[in-house]
Amino acid sequence: MAGTANSLNPESQAAAHAARQTELRKRSSGRLMIFGFLSPTLAILLFMVAYPIFSLIYYSFFNFSALRQATMKPVGFNNYKFLLSDPDLWERFIFTGKFVFICVTLQMLIGIFVGYQMQKNFRGRDVIFTLLMMPMMLSPVVVGFLWRYMLNSEWGVINFLVSSAGFAKVDWLGQTNPALWAAAAADTWMWTPFIVLLATAAFRGIPETIYEAAEVDGASPAYRFFRITLPMSAPVLFIALILRLIDSFKQYDLFVALTGGGPGSSTETVSFSVAKTAFSYFYTGEASALAVILLVIIIGLSMILVRHLTKMGEKY
Amino acid sequence: MTHSKTSSIDLATRWLVLGLLALYTVYNVGPIFWLLLSSFKGRMDFFTMPPKLFFTPDLSGYQAVFGVGAAKDSASAVGVFDSLVNSVIVSVAGTSLAVFFGTLAGYVCSRFNFIGKGDFMFFVLSTRMLPPVAVLVFYHLMFARLGLADTRTGLVLVSIFANVGLATWIMKGFFDGVPKEVEQIAIVNGYTRMYAFLKLVLPMVKGGIAATAGFCFIFAWNEFAFASILTTTQAKTLPVKISAASGATGIEWTQICAAGVVLIIPVLIFFYLIRKHLLMGMTFGVLGRR
Repeated sequence: MAGTANSLNPESQAAAHAARQTELRKRSSGRLMIFGFLSPTLAILLFMVAYPIFSLIYYSFFNFSALRQATMKPVGFNNYKFLLSDPDLWERFIFTGKFVFICVTLQMLIGIFVGYQMQKNFRGRDVIFTLLMMPMMLSPVVVGFLWRYMLNSEWGVINFLVSSAGFAKVDWLGQTNPALWAAAAADTWMWTPFIVLLATAAFRGIPETIYEAAEVDGASPAYRFFRITLPMSAPVLFIALILRLIDSFKQYDLFVALTGGGPGSSTETVSFSVAKTAFSYFYTGEASALAVILLVIIIGLSMILVRHLTKMGEKY
Repeated sequence: MTHSKTSSIDLATRWLVLGLLALYTVYNVGPIFWLLLSSFKGRMDFFTMPPKLFFTPDLSGYQAVFGVGAAKDSASAVGVFDSLVNSVIVSVAGTSLAVFFGTLAGYVCSRFNFIGKGDFMFFVLSTRMLPPVAVLVFYHLMFARLGLADTRTGLVLVSIFANVGLATWIMKGFFDGVPKEVEQIAIVNGYTRMYAFLKLVLPMVKGGIAATAGFCFIFAWNEFAFASILTTTQAKTLPVKISAASGATGIEWTQICAAGVVLIIPVLIFFYLIRKHLLMGMTFGVLGRR
């Protein structure tokens, strides 16, 4: 009853009207802000990502070369059929898989180990920490050349150390398996600091009281590490793992500078293969199909990552 | 007795840990030291076996990179300094625009709920994961048609796209750290949302904007794949230029090492300046905000 009486009062009606107007204006200004603030980012990403990806999918159904753009023959799924039945491509995938596995395993193990030591406070920690981060700051192409130079079989410093230790010199970059390990060593050199950075932060984020409680219960250092440290930092370590998986899977720059894909084509990653098909052979249609396959894999991995990140973003 | 036994095991573990750490430090720092040392080695000292630790420093690599001194006129040094200029222009322009757009988008993502927000956020971040060579297959055609091939404008465009997603996520993280009450109080007091954003919220994330810019700059500065395929002569950046640094006598190692040192210096400075936000930048603004 009181409400009805109030709404009959012209003064309060005007006030309510004004309030509604402000509310509406606020909401529409909010909408304007959302639109205005998002549109530059959205525009550039649509133009630079969505449009190229749709074009890639389109070209992947054509026999098409960038050199002869006038002739475009639709071939249906033939590009995909050809690629998936091509033993060479499977070799690229196997090589990429081996490379990713070695890199990610080494980086996680070393990174967690070093990170566990770096969480402690000691004198000169900041300086050492910054020094340890340096490989990550280099351009991947510089890293590739630096390792190629150090690994040179004739005058490289690594073979100098190998031969001073009494072993025979190794032709690191001239043979398939040593080249794989050389590339993994270079990638691990560059990216272990990244794991160290994340692991250290994760370890330092674990409340001291939990360790103290474990201390009271007489827990061994191994128990502390495997039952407290690792599980409690698992979400952060998982982010690190997925990021390294994605980045090493699409690795391209390093191989351009370090091995050039050789010897033969034995150290070509899938990314490298896309570039070679598109920019050396100019089989644009086939390269598009291969790019689409690569994208599907990367997008799958990214979705896992983003879901995890969003969950963490809500929690912290 | 048991006590002395455990402590000797402890001691052994401790030495093992220290040994492994020392080994890792050599692995980690050694190549950097070697890069620095080699950047001063002239051709005579470069290929000696055993490798020389002491030699007369040769500045030809640095002279080529900075376009000064005697070495700047050698055949292999032509255009190296220009590529350094290109690198600076492209990274600074690309970073500024990416951070500008990313700040706006990050603010909206932090403060508003809108239809398709989750999809937008995923789409934005996925651009950071994108294998460059995949989109390059099409960029190669697109840039030629639009007349952007081998231009700095084209590279700036690429640099914006490659970093705006990262910038959006990091800035969202920084905006999330600012209490929502800031705007609420401002609006209650009769100010507009825009005013609250510009005059109140933005100054509170100044440090965040600087850190985001630092990150974007590092990625833009070191970028290789896009620049190597989309440039031919005029717009080459320094990483691309040195990858083709072959003279009459093969690869110009001194030049490559000197360029490597020159390339790392600004990154080192930025790393130091944004060291508090390192974790945040590396996890897309999700971790490490305080």
